[in-house]
Amino acid sequence: MADSTLPIQGALDITPPAARKHSILEIAHSWITTVDHKKLGILYTVFGIFWLLVGGAEAIAIRIQLAMPNNHFLSPQTYNQFFTMHGTTMVFLVGMTIIFGFANYLVPLMIGARDMAFPRLNAFSFWVTAFGGTLLYYSFLGGSGLYGVGSAPDVGWFAYAPLTARAFSPGHATDYWAISLIVSGIGTVGTAINIVATTVSMRCKGMTLMRMPLFVWLFFVVSALTLITITPLTAAQIMLTIDRYLGGHFFDTQAGGSAVAWMHFFWIFGHPEVYVLILPAFAIANEIIPVFSRKAIFGYPAMAAASVGIAFVSLGVWAHHMFTVGMTSVSNAFFTLSTMLVGIPTGIKIFNWLATMWGGKIRFATPMLFLTAFLFQFLIAGLTGIMLSVSPWDWQLHNSYFVIAHFHYVLVGALVFAIFGGLYYWFPKATGKMLSEKIGKWHFWLFIIGFHLTFDTMHVPGILGMPRSIYTYEPDRGWGPWNLVVSIGGIIQGIATLVFAYNMIVSLRKGEEAGPDPWDAWTLEWTTSSPPPDYNFAIDPVVGSRRPLWDLKHPEDPDWKYEA
Amino acid sequence: MSEHHSTGSHEEHVHLPAPTHWPIIMALGVALGFTGIVTNLGLTILGVVLALAGAIGWFRQVLPREHVENIETTVEDVLVTTTRTEVERIVVPSEDRAHLPIETYPILSGLKGGLAGAIAMVPPALIYGLLAQHSIWYPINLLGGAGVANWRNPSTADIASFHLSGLIVAGIIHIITSLLVGLLYGAMLPMLPKRPILLGGLVAPVLWTGLVHATMGVINPELDARIQWGWFLVSQITFGVVAGWVVAHSQKIYTKQSMPILMRLGFEGSGLHHEDHDQAGEDRK
Ligand code: HEM
Ligand SMILES: [Cu+2]
Repeated sequence: MADSTLPIQGALDITPPAARKHSILEIAHSWITTVDHKKLGILYTVFGIFWLLVGGAEAIAIRIQLAMPNNHFLSPQTYNQFFTMHGTTMVFLVGMTIIFGFANYLVPLMIGARDMAFPRLNAFSFWVTAFGGTLLYYSFLGGSGLYGVGSAPDVGWFAYAPLTARAFSPGHATDYWAISLIVSGIGTVGTAINIVATTVSMRCKGMTLMRMPLFVWLFFVVSALTLITITPLTAAQIMLTIDRYLGGHFFDTQAGGSAVAWMHFFWIFGHPEVYVLILPAFAIANEIIPVFSRKAIFGYPAMAAASVGIAFVSLGVWAHHMFTVGMTSVSNAFFTLSTMLVGIPTGIKIFNWLATMWGGKIRFATPMLFLTAFLFQFLIAGLTGIMLSVSPWDWQLHNSYFVIAHFHYVLVGALVFAIFGGLYYWFPKATGKMLSEKIGKWHFWLFIIGFHLTFDTMHVPGILGMPRSIYTYEPDRGWGPWNLVVSIGGIIQGIATLVFAYNMIVSLRKGEEAGPDPWDAWTLEWTTSSPPPDYNFAIDPVVGSRRPLWDLKHPEDPDWKYEA
Repeated sequence: MSEHHSTGSHEEHVHLPAPTHWPIIMALGVALGFTGIVTNLGLTILGVVLALAGAIGWFRQVLPREHVENIETTVEDVLVTTTRTEVERIVVPSEDRAHLPIETYPILSGLKGGLAGAIAMVPPALIYGLLAQHSIWYPINLLGGAGVANWRNPSTADIASFHLSGLIVAGIIHIITSLLVGLLYGAMLPMLPKRPILLGGLVAPVLWTGLVHATMGVINPELDARIQWGWFLVSQITFGVVAGWVVAHSQKIYTKQSMPILMRLGFEGSGLHHEDHDQAGEDRK
């Protein structure tokens, strides 16, 4: 057996890093003008983590307000603004940007390319996204006229009509909301096109579609899905802007428009968006779980096919968000069935991950801890999702706290856990330093305790009838103690996130040196130095299997013997 | 059994796209352009200017040749390979099966044809005006009338007299439509087998006159109510023949069809470009 602790001999650059010191200005300039996919990936990720802290702070404020009955920590108006901004920030500025950060950084490295297909478009996409996000927060300053401070949008991240009509949303806050989504949507589309083009055209020699890492497969699917769904969203935002500025009546029921039309537009985007967010979590799982189980992923072709299947089905189930608006019972039945259909490919995935871990030599390093929790929590979220997809059940639970609990189980329990795992896993590649395992374990345990305190508990007031989006409640409902627990859990999660931020800063400065391949992994990004040189690979790599590094390290037991 | 091709260290040159500040400028322009809707028109204008500047700067970064950074590097020449048989990479065949058309007309010829057709159409239209209504302004106002805003139920005398705005609007509509149809001719004529004048000059105008006939009631009711379809058809055919003739008599150029689409789109795919002779299209000329 080859000694896998030896440095990997890939197309490895041995040029020593330039010794010259750069001034702050030079460094800033190099980041602003960069077209390098790695730097842009880091920019996306840092930008996303920044908004994660902002959106997290908003969440804490919301939870303080709800911790006790009859609380007056926030005004009703501010409360509405906070949950709107929280939702919008988390979905568009945190989820979308961090996953695109991962894709930017990793897709070219994993397929053995020097850069994305369109490097300048890539830079443009990032900056347009960043400016779009800034616009959303500019509404705090400019929402009620240029000098009216303190007016953010308060219409919910779903912005249901007629709340968004001028009569109910005076001032400009809602306009900023719509425009910021249009602008950052432009960047999203640019990146999605770039990822599709890169995957199609830039794979290195020998990397067939069936040898592509599943991570790349997933982002290929996600990008296609993004292209399909951002379009209706942007169309809806433009219609909304026309309604508000040019006297259009698309969503104005008083003048023959339709509020339900907005819901359709929004959820045709909104539900697949959920998969745009969750498939990247699967992508991360597909890389980390096998490496830390020391087994090849079980059922590679089924995994790839299931991803495509999920994306496909997710396009046809949007109206399960609308069971209670009074569609026909035929539509309700259709959307119930199609929603349940998602369970099949999802089940395949969960089964395959478990099969991958089964009998493996599992190492519970921090990345694997996060991904193990991901698996468990995603399973639970799927079960509550199935409950909600049954329309009579949904009539009971719709717009209750149960729904909030469900989708946070997915967004936090699966996506955020996977992102944390992914950050621990690839941080060494991007920076050359390991994140501290000790602080990492603190981070993990605090976060998982906080998570379950919050979101397990949150199902209960939902079943007891507590509606979502309420500012406060009377003490006699029996929701008080539950809410207190929920809030405490939220604060623990906040602390855990700060622990993580601390870990990043400390490790960046004096973390352990990572070397090219600290996890003894298998995909191409680990063949080059950490951090990789500007050009990734001095020589275009050539691969012959799904796990090129495994083959190199274990010549007596190469992977291709097992490839289906 | 993996093979390790270790041939020691050696020098390599790597080309990477050069850093550029134009994308961020364009992004700022786009964002400001939209912000102006909410705040101040001035911001929109500034945004549009920035976006245009960004776009121009960006294009100049890639056209005619991409700006690249040349990085020198020392590499250890070791390939990650296995005994898996290699898979074919995309090759760029020099003598691929011919896709039709092999040649096409340059874009400019379409514009020229459109312009020539536009001019040729004028006499029949004016003659019709003189004969039918004793006024050369009549057909012009009919066309431009769609753009003359407060024109409700004009009398025949109204239409027959001179209106500057009618002339301007008619001129703009006429030129733009002609140029667009001319472009279409430039693109489509190579696909029509054998007799471009017959098809482009006669058949196509007859077809679209029928189409216009069917839809004009919705597009421009004023025009629809008063139009003489016989004369309309005559001027369309005049256009078709002249535009078709001009296009068909211009110099043809080779299409880039034997280059893979990825190359035509300008991807920087590995295996597509061979560093030294990457302008496959150029040596055809
Ligand atoms: C496992 C399959 C899933 C099923 C069967 C499912 C089902 C549902 C259903 C039926 C609702 C509507 C509840 C209501 O509003 O009354 C809902 C809401 C929601 N789900 Fe899921 N879901 C699934 C996965 C996901 C994932 C992966 C995410 C996010 C990453 C997600 C995020 C959301 C969100 C944000 C809402 C709230 C929408 C709102 O604001 O009304 N779900 N889900
Ligand atoms: Cu949904």
